[in-house]
Amino acid sequence: MTTKKEIPPVLEIIRSNIMEYNNPLALNCRQNSSWVRDLELPAQGEILFYTGGEYQLLPYLAPLLKTLTFIDPASKAFSLLMEGRKLVKIIGITPEKVLAGVLAQDKERYNSINYKAAYILKKLGFDLCYDADVEMYSGALLYELGFWQDFKLYAARVVEVIRKTQAKTVVCLSPHAAEMFKVVYPQFNVFPEFNVKTFIELVWEKRDNLPQISDKSTVVIHDSCRLARELGITKEIRDIMESVGVSYVEPVRNKEWTTCCGGPGKMLFPEIARIIAERRVNELAETGASKALLACPYCLSSLQAGSKQERNIIIEDLVEFLYRGFIANV
Amino acid sequence: MSDWQKELAIYTKNLNKASQDENLTRALTRAVKSYRQNVDTALCQYPHTPNLAEEVRAIKEYSMAHNKELLEKAMQAIESNHGHAFYAEDRQAALQIVKDIVGKGKIIVKGKSMLGEELGLREALQEEGNEVWETDLGEFILQLKKDRPMHILAPSIHVPREQVAEIFSKFFQKEIPADITEEVSVVRDFLREKYFTADVGISGANVVAADTGQIVIIENEGNVRLCTGVPPVHIAIVGIEKLVPTFQDAMKVAEVTWRYANYGAPGYVNIISGPSKTGDIEKVITYGAHGPKEFYVIFVNNGRSAMLGDENYRQALHCLRCGGCMYECPVFQITAGHYGRTYLSGIGSVWTAFIEGKESAAPMLYTCLRCGRCVERCPMKINVPDMVGRLRSEVVSD
Ligand code: SF4
Repeated sequence: MTTKKEIPPVLEIIRSNIMEYNNPLALNCRQNSSWVRDLELPAQGEILFYTGGEYQLLPYLAPLLKTLTFIDPASKAFSLLMEGRKLVKIIGITPEKVLAGVLAQDKERYNSINYKAAYILKKLGFDLCYDADVEMYSGALLYELGFWQDFKLYAARVVEVIRKTQAKTVVCLSPHAAEMFKVVYPQFNVFPEFNVKTFIELVWEKRDNLPQISDKSTVVIHDSCRLARELGITKEIRDIMESVGVSYVEPVRNKEWTTCCGGPGKMLFPEIARIIAERRVNELAETGASKALLACPYCLSSLQAGSKQERNIIIEDLVEFLYRGFIANV
Repeated sequence: MSDWQKELAIYTKNLNKASQDENLTRALTRAVKSYRQNVDTALCQYPHTPNLAEEVRAIKEYSMAHNKELLEKAMQAIESNHGHAFYAEDRQAALQIVKDIVGKGKIIVKGKSMLGEELGLREALQEEGNEVWETDLGEFILQLKKDRPMHILAPSIHVPREQVAEIFSKFFQKEIPADITEEVSVVRDFLREKYFTADVGISGANVVAADTGQIVIIENEGNVRLCTGVPPVHIAIVGIEKLVPTFQDAMKVAEVTWRYANYGAPGYVNIISGPSKTGDIEKVITYGAHGPKEFYVIFVNNGRSAMLGDENYRQALHCLRCGGCMYECPVFQITAGHYGRTYLSGIGSVWTAFIEGKESAAPMLYTCLRCGRCVERCPMKINVPDMVGRLRSEVVSD
């Protein structure tokens, strides 16, 4: 189709990667599942742990977009770079190799969030299953970027794959995936038969069993847009904080009035996205807190990138924060 | 679909430039802060407002479903009030009607109107050899600066006083200091003379009551009173979406509009039913007493019926143009109207898609973060992110 060529290449590349490789950057499943380590999660079970490969994706996305920030999106260089993604298919190199510059430390951090989340849920008594070979990305970007025909087909494929695990509940680590399954798939007449929960909701159910956390830093909560506005999950995070004995402060804009991290703008307007992230970090830092907690992979990556040295605020995923409580008590 | 990448590149450059503009950032930061404070105060002081907004939502839904009837009714009411009512299908038709009424070589004073911007009304009248003056202070500055509005309520939000002084000094050919009081006063003196020599006054309207044919215009500066009250002819241009069934409904719409536009009560609310008249001499009704002798209302469609006909987008017509969503938009907060064309930010991208075409709207549609905070603020609870998503899907599949 001729029209496809005319839309910005970055959009088309993401679309075709998802449709062909089940992942926006064509990362392979195996690579995505290296985080499992010693957890021994069965492939089938009642509760499916769903990462959607989203945390795994982020260390690749950030440097890629950083490169793109300095390239005019309409320039040839941009097209060439993005077309390069297609080489994956032709000459068999993987994006991991294309983006060899990704910091090992970042990769480790984002990967380990999956591990830590699964670890926490297991410790709280949830029997999780996980199937590394078949896990697919939720398709959120197909929906966001307007590829609705593809999205409908893709959503049906995702649901089919999940059905095979026989899970009754799917626990999503990313609020974007939860929103897709819960709110958006049904709008496309794809009706998952499983219950959809976020990581936060599951932890909240057993919050009384969480170990106390003796973190002396002042903590501020950053609500993610999807969690707060689309899924209405705000109080749960605060309850969890109370359960682990950590007091927290609120930024000026919080809960359903939370400020976006800028993440969604990264694809086409990285410069704008960066400024939005910095401004949100400022809002968080103005509370005087030394640590900001959040529960969304995109917020983590955006705010991390937006936090400047002088602001002196640590950006952490709630998963990382809660995990420390378990380790301290081992 | 033609290639919109080039346009996207220019747009992106502009957006990036705006985000680096310290004047703009400073002005916007101040504006956002005071908007939020003022709305909070106004809502505290008038706590019935959110409920009233819900009522207005129902009024708007009803009005959209009965738009045709309301239009007929309003046009009849205006005629029976001794005004003249017209319907224009598109931009061309609307401009022709105005041109026919105005003629050539006239002096025209004009109040702020988004529809006027949409139609390019000032430029069209100037081309016919008329002298046209924007009377809203912000718009006046932009007219001299040859710039376009960067916010629907505060069009010249991006121009600091120093720059205003520069523009005015050049125009008035004398030294105007960067002092806001002086800047306001020099425009006041200049425009005062224009009001009293003008042949025609042009305004928009915030809402129109179909039963009485009354148009309602909210303002603060007092320029609209003068534009609509002093010249011998008053022309009001109105989008068909502004129609509501009754005068009572119109008052509700007006109150919600100004409240979310951050006013407890605005400076003035103008209600106009027809030409000025008197029966004081022998009870003979004579038109054109102190105010205009002729009153014209032009209802404009220009893409609105397409929105009206599509249930996915109809809600966009509920927009009161209160501007609340823009203050909450993280992109608008750093770029102002650069995230927009005639219509700005998320809601503006939906309007642009229908009024200028999806292709023109594409860069704006992809700028939206779909973060949803605008919906929290919007008194009409317009689901902009949903419409933006839908329009994106139409853009890529067209
Ligand atoms: S979309 Fe809603 S908040 Fe924005 S200008 Fe319109 S009515 Fe006001």
